[in-house]
Amino acid sequence: MRVTKGAKIIAGTALLALAVAACGSGGDSSSPGATGGGDTPVRMEIGEPQKLFYPSDTTETEGSEVLAAIMTPLVSYDDNKKVVMDLAESITSDDNTVWTIKLKPGYTWHNGEPVIAQNFVDAWNFAANQENVQSASYFFGRIDGYADLNPGEGKTVTADGMKGLKVVDDSTFEVTLAAPFSQFPTMLGYTAFYALPKAAFDAEGKVTEAFAKKPIGNGYFQFTKDYAKGTDQSIDLIRYDKYPGEKPKFDKLQFKIYTDNETAYNDVAAGNLDIIDQLGPSSISRAKGELGDRYIDQPDAGIGYIGFPLKYNKDYENVKVREAISMAIDRQTIADTVFSGTRAPADDFINPAIDGYRQGACAVCTYDPAKAKETYTAANGPKTLELGYNNDGGHKEWIEAVALNLRQNLGIEVTVKPFEKFQAILDELDAKKYAGMFRMGWAIDYPSPENYLTPIFSTAAAKTGSNYAGYSSKEFDELLVKGDTAKTPEESIAFYQQADDILIKDLPYVPVYFYRVNAGFSQHVKGVKINLLNQVEWTSVEKV
Amino acid sequence: MGRYIIRRLIQAIPVLLGSTLLIFATVFVLPGDPIAALAGEKRADPTIVAILREQYHLNDPFFVQYWNYISGVFQGNFGRTFANVEVSEIMAGKFQVTLNLAMTALILEAIIGVGLGLWAALRRGKATDSAILASTLVLISIPTLVTGFVLQLILGVQLKQSFGIDFFPVAGISEGWRSYLVPGFVLAGTSIAYLTRLTRTSLVETLRADFVRTAVAKGMSRRRVVGRHALRNALIPMVTYLGADLGTLMGGAVITESIFNIPGIGQELFRSVYERQQPVVVGIVTILVLVYILANLIVDLLYAVLDPRIRYE
Repeated sequence: MRVTKGAKIIAGTALLALAVAACGSGGDSSSPGATGGGDTPVRMEIGEPQKLFYPSDTTETEGSEVLAAIMTPLVSYDDNKKVVMDLAESITSDDNTVWTIKLKPGYTWHNGEPVIAQNFVDAWNFAANQENVQSASYFFGRIDGYADLNPGEGKTVTADGMKGLKVVDDSTFEVTLAAPFSQFPTMLGYTAFYALPKAAFDAEGKVTEAFAKKPIGNGYFQFTKDYAKGTDQSIDLIRYDKYPGEKPKFDKLQFKIYTDNETAYNDVAAGNLDIIDQLGPSSISRAKGELGDRYIDQPDAGIGYIGFPLKYNKDYENVKVREAISMAIDRQTIADTVFSGTRAPADDFINPAIDGYRQGACAVCTYDPAKAKETYTAANGPKTLELGYNNDGGHKEWIEAVALNLRQNLGIEVTVKPFEKFQAILDELDAKKYAGMFRMGWAIDYPSPENYLTPIFSTAAAKTGSNYAGYSSKEFDELLVKGDTAKTPEESIAFYQQADDILIKDLPYVPVYFYRVNAGFSQHVKGVKINLLNQVEWTSVEKV
Repeated sequence: MGRYIIRRLIQAIPVLLGSTLLIFATVFVLPGDPIAALAGEKRADPTIVAILREQYHLNDPFFVQYWNYISGVFQGNFGRTFANVEVSEIMAGKFQVTLNLAMTALILEAIIGVGLGLWAALRRGKATDSAILASTLVLISIPTLVTGFVLQLILGVQLKQSFGIDFFPVAGISEGWRSYLVPGFVLAGTSIAYLTRLTRTSLVETLRADFVRTAVAKGMSRRRVVGRHALRNALIPMVTYLGADLGTLMGGAVITESIFNIPGIGQELFRSVYERQQPVVVGIVTILVLVYILANLIVDLLYAVLDPRIRYE
């Protein structure tokens, strides 16, 4: 999810580093701009959406941000990181396998159609079908019948839908999962799970390009005209007044497309922009001084790791070696100096933005050079290590810092190996061509502690998921199943935390940092809140 | 004249073919799978990647891919990006914006550059001359990003915050022609400096020529000597420079476009190369090559207008 924006910031940064150094922090004023009030929309910065607005093909932050304003998810997340019902009246299950979803009455699409259960079934079947090549199709992998829509490359799909989806009546549908999964409701707040109106589909049941340019939603804002990707510099939305839920307190919302975050911040300073949800490195220091309490700094759900190729390099087989490496990394200094406070030192495999995080859970994530050296020597760790990273995403600096930590604290040779792109590391790991340590990152798909565990460390994820370490632990897998089948959310979290403990013991990856959200807003608005999915909560925003 | 133009246009075809082939090959050998890269830092679903690669004919051999592409282009079809958007739609919007920016820059460049050069040449050896030469030197040595950011901060942010003058927008193109003034100047910056120096040198040389001395001796007014005789003759190198510069201004505005958030082709090209969006890169470059060819043709035709001794058969 984060990727596009991250890459953008980095590209911009690299390009403009010089200028930034030259300009420094010049801004000093807080005099009110000319605009604000009246008929001006609330204006927010985004990057150009990667694709047109096919909800199940939108897996990046920018497009999701726009869709979130015009669509109502089944569930959303409150300030305490808990799941709350949104479009859904209730989501219930006795066995974590068959889920009954009831919809709230009164919701309509922007074209007047009522929102019915069939809209969900249609949208999900479209998304999951491999012929429609939707990038978020894997989200539906847990639903019974997903395999029928995904027979694999070169094979034709014969089923016309997932057998696990059944419409009971206009406001109720039933979802049967292939295996019990207690976190299913948590997933449903994500972009991929939005419903689609009848008008979105053509005669063959495909979502039309016309819809993707001017999507018809069921949320509190609506499109007024086609979006011309590549040409339009803003996406203008107006409030949908027939929305039955809590409506935003202003009637116009404008997403302004920027390629450079420093420029966007200058526009905030000049009063031409209200909200910026990801500040560039140099505007952060300006924003802290200039925006005061309009500067937002809160946890973001992403994590950065150092990974080990456990499946084919014996050098890292001894867990003591990995513990020593972990203890030799000075996370606090890296977060404070290399990242200027835009990261926090990691102390768990689960991120603080998520319910289930335990502060200080990972004891060996604490910097302890003496013990690191002692452990490393006792374990007879290798004299030379290699550390790989992709040099297109601003990772060079912190990877070099880690390498320096390891050299100084363990007294060994560490070489860093740049790869041109992140996918190149993944390819070489898959092909077992690269055998050193590697940088790794994770942005969540849904805010559950389970999402930090199963897709990255389960045995099954070694084949289909993102388990690049090739880590496999029976005990860990079993605890995940226990969490997936637990009766209450609290029990699930307890099991996931036990699974987390096993990771901390085994260290297939070493968590290094947690991402943070660095956002800001102008004096023309108040009440800006950013939720777990990095989206602004428009109902709480007010114009001043 | 007509035959000359037709001949030049026919000559353009192999140039176009050659350059597209070259660019196509260059993007082709870039490492990484553009489809898998769409998934960012997650593992892309292998089935989806395979189907998309098939759809975009990425598994075909190089020449088959090139043939598919180029035959499409001749039918006016530039293909679709890997995010499934018509390349021609993207290009149409971006070229319009870039053309606005490049023309603003070119006009500023011509007015300021020629004006300053003229002034310096007529005051040769005096303080004005030295001051102009020194300031062009400063302009040449400051990188575009510095001028860009400084001017944005001063004209866009500070002017409004301190004096309430809201004339120059910080960024974007929503304010019509005003949006292009500052970025146009920043983009033209170094060219203005070069053109000033070029104009000055060329004019100083012409002013020393025999025919100018004759004109002065005839008792012709200074205004007429400089305007009709000297400047017209000195104009040839300047026109050549301006013509060649149009292409550079259009394709090379990456930094300026990025600072001022102008959705032009410079940025698009930069991003497309990064994302290996072959159809976009080749499409844009093809059009840029066309622009170069046409600009050069116009420059050559202008020679004949400026200097009647030059004739094209």
